Amino acid sequence: MTDLVTLKIDGHEVSVPKGTLVLDAAAKLGIEIPIFCSHPKLDPVACCRMCLVEMSGPRGASLQPACAVPVAEGMEVNTQNENVRSTQEMMLGFILVNHPLDCPICDKGGECPLQDQTMRFGPGISQLVEPKRHKNKEHLISDTIVLDQERCVVCWRCIRYLQEWEDKPQLALFERGGETLIDIQHGQPVDAKTGGNIIDICPVGALTNRVARFNFRPWQIERTPSIDPHYSTGDNIRIDTRTHQIRRIVGRENMQVNDQWIADKTRFAYEWVNSDQRLQHPLVRKDGELVPASWSYALQYVVDRLKEISRKNGADAIGGIGSTKLSNESNYLFQRLMRQFIGTNNVDHRNGGDVAALATGLPALADIMKPQYGPNPKVDTIFLVGFDPSEELPILDIHLKRAVLRGGAKLIIAHPRQIELTRYKGPHLAYKPGSEVTMLNVLTKLAMSAGEKNDAELSKLLTGATQQALKDVCDVAVDEAKRAAELLAQSENALIIYGPMAADGPNGPQVINALTNLAMITGHYERLAYIGLDANSQGCRDMGVLPTKLPGHAELDDAEARARLEQLWGCTLPTEPGKTYKQMLDAAGGAIKALYVMGADPASERPDWAANLDKLDLLIVQDLFLTETAQLADVVLPALSWAESNGTFTNCERRVQRAPKALTNPHTKAAADWMILDHLASRLGANWPYADEKGVLHEITEAVPIYRGLTWEALGDQGLQWDAAQVRPTAEYRQAVQPEATASAEYPFALVTGTVSYDGGNMFALTKQMHNIAYGPIVGISPADADRLSVADATPVTVSSPYGALQVQVKISEQVKPGTVWIPESLPQSPVGALLNGSSAEYVKIEA
Amino acid sequence: MGFERFIKGATEIGKAMGVTLKYLRQKPITVQYPTEPVPVYPRFRGKHELRRYENGMERCIGCMLCEAACPTGAIYVDAAENDPQNPTSPGERYARTYEINLLRCVFCGDCEEACPTEAIVLGHDFAMANFNRRDFILTKPELLNPGEPNVVIRPE
Repeated sequence: MTDLVTLKIDGHEVSVPKGTLVLDAAAKLGIEIPIFCSHPKLDPVACCRMCLVEMSGPRGASLQPACAVPVAEGMEVNTQNENVRSTQEMMLGFILVNHPLDCPICDKGGECPLQDQTMRFGPGISQLVEPKRHKNKEHLISDTIVLDQERCVVCWRCIRYLQEWEDKPQLALFERGGETLIDIQHGQPVDAKTGGNIIDICPVGALTNRVARFNFRPWQIERTPSIDPHYSTGDNIRIDTRTHQIRRIVGRENMQVNDQWIADKTRFAYEWVNSDQRLQHPLVRKDGELVPASWSYALQYVVDRLKEISRKNGADAIGGIGSTKLSNESNYLFQRLMRQFIGTNNVDHRNGGDVAALATGLPALADIMKPQYGPNPKVDTIFLVGFDPSEELPILDIHLKRAVLRGGAKLIIAHPRQIELTRYKGPHLAYKPGSEVTMLNVLTKLAMSAGEKNDAELSKLLTGATQQALKDVCDVAVDEAKRAAELLAQSENALIIYGPMAADGPNGPQVINALTNLAMITGHYERLAYIGLDANSQGCRDMGVLPTKLPGHAELDDAEARARLEQLWGCTLPTEPGKTYKQMLDAAGGAIKALYVMGADPASERPDWAANLDKLDLLIVQDLFLTETAQLADVVLPALSWAESNGTFTNCERRVQRAPKALTNPHTKAAADWMILDHLASRLGANWPYADEKGVLHEITEAVPIYRGLTWEALGDQGLQWDAAQVRPTAEYRQAVQPEATASAEYPFALVTGTVSYDGGNMFALTKQMHNIAYGPIVGISPADADRLSVADATPVTVSSPYGALQVQVKISEQVKPGTVWIPESLPQSPVGALLNGSSAEYVKIEA
Repeated sequence: MGFERFIKGATEIGKAMGVTLKYLRQKPITVQYPTEPVPVYPRFRGKHELRRYENGMERCIGCMLCEAACPTGAIYVDAAENDPQNPTSPGERYARTYEINLLRCVFCGDCEEACPTEAIVLGHDFAMANFNRRDFILTKPELLNPGEPNVVIRPE
């Protein structure tokens, strides 16, 4: 137990740990001290002087800020006497001198600490007769955040958030005295990916949400605790609704997941839910055109055609594509439908069976987090392989920054691009895409010598891994690799995270072998983690939406799992392994005659897949929008979004969290995914017993051993983690072989892909306020290469590989390494998949 | 006997006619409603109006305080941001939608009380019968008085 300090506040004695601030000690007694600048998740600064209370000290009683003074033994604090009260009245008077009092048009009105404290602690009358100062009223500090400098009380919370959590000091104070104002620096807008959090913590209406501006009043909205539909960190949010519309999204505290911060995309990009482009009724193709149809007709049509194709071509001519954006319930029923009634294992999702993933996910996000008042993170070294949190998971990104800045953690980055986190001076291994295996093998060898651990068996497997190979194949400096290996070998608790980019395609199994070797020899095997990117990347795998795995990560020939599921479902399960996502789409129109696509849009990924999908006998698409895939479909079934139906999502640390229904749309005929599947099943002859989503979840707890006990009621508002030990594969050394690279004189550039937050997807693109910050169709080129090719920013160029070509615009970027080009995935009108051939590594050429 | 009764009867009739003749000379109390308007008290609370400023801008800023004050939930407001080039009301905010459900309204006047800009007032119109339930929901075109501004609005 830490040392306790006893002090007296208003005559009541209280004992608190040493170092506690007087403000928190008072809160423990239930005594409220008014504050503006103090925030439980930011460093104290004591600039608003609202919390002045009388404290006894060596020089007698004096007024001191309760938010910045730590407790001392025998201290006597008085928060109620005349001196304190008149000071509080005076401070509020000063704060209100230039406050415009335009509460009727202020979005904060009704939940404003300044309003509340003026009513509680204020003088009740105004002494002001002079005119107020005027400053900028509607000042955009980014495309999504509006600053009203008149309302600002200069508490610095926004400045401190950007500094302490984002490590991007993009806001600052300007001028002096009464003229003091907060503004952006050099006209550069706030572009931090979690910058919207400053709206939540602003104690007045100075910072407001431009997307939700004037759309709500705090007293009229319904609040539903939910989770983020975009990112796999599963950030906790609150959805505020009114009249069947989402009016606003704000962060919700979960100290195990996101502290209380959420990403900007989560906060601002929700327009797609209320969009009038949403599908309203089922569509069936008649005479080459999609026409509205009734549910019963569309479902019967689907069932009849599926039966017909199954009879004619066999069950394995039918495939199903699930989605990492949909809930566990939808995905579970989807694979049950495919396995039970179609009788095929052809069921997969994007980045599913094609990616060599680990079932276990991150050990725990809390191991990386450094809360304001809490211990240092458990993890002391973090090794990121082919994973860019700044673009892919912004909340994990701020956790990592904080762990490095305040928790003393070290960061090692292996990424072909010089990603944002490389500014923390950790070793950066800028490998050539496709050479991950060699890099990891050499790293393993270096770690062995650095840690003085010799393993004969492992040494035999690493014969080709020489420092020369590191230079030739990977183009990585040996010194950097040595530094990285030393850090890993010395670390007691290193976390190794790899993303889908590193483990995609035929390369994947080799990469995972190499990573396992490295993690085992350095003693970090339990903390080797694959991280999916979408909201339910983990849950989709847990539910068995994989061609070679049954629910709960059981192998297809696992007798115990088969018996359990066959008894529960009352059927015999197919035994043949199915086709993966890429194999199904490559074979579409050939061996695959019918595809059921739920919540995915493969046609937009690669033009040849779009052509294949067009050749299918039957394409069923279940989605929110008429996507490129849906436009090719024979039947389109309109579904409901995550906010309109109940569901659970499993985040990257295996935390199962609830996303309850927040709103209904009375105009639409669209139905929840699980309900569509349930109706299809009943037309296929089943009688599934689910009354609602909670019933489906209840069955999941029986069908999937790792989900045992995780019922809707048990999950609560903060979710529950399942135990990774049950599915962790046994550790053993395996050989990892470097696949051949195919650079040639004709195609000199290595292609780097990867995900970006602000892409061209529907979920993002429909929010018009964010259009300016979205990526266009671009190709990132290093300044050196741009010089050589004599191209400038925004020059239109053609990037081509042996498989296809793409029209894009040049974007010169310091992040890109010479000899490589960078085209992110899912950009508008530039499907990078056109250049790829199943793998993520490819060589391309650029022509102006 | 017969004569006496006759005289008494005639007197009675004469008395009654006297009353009639007396009132014949006075102004009538009855009014020819609906052909003639009925005067109401100045603080009478009738059908709602949304006022404008003299420069033609709407007074309503869409703050939704009337909605919060309304005891029967008869008011629905949706606010939006003013186009700076072509503002509807002074400041940044205006009411994009303003609806009053007359079937719910109890004409208590709390909305007037709550309004910070004196935009919503209860007028003197009390004849609100209608043939259609939907027509009892007043929208901005029906509420605004004057419906079209009498002057050209210029941004300040």
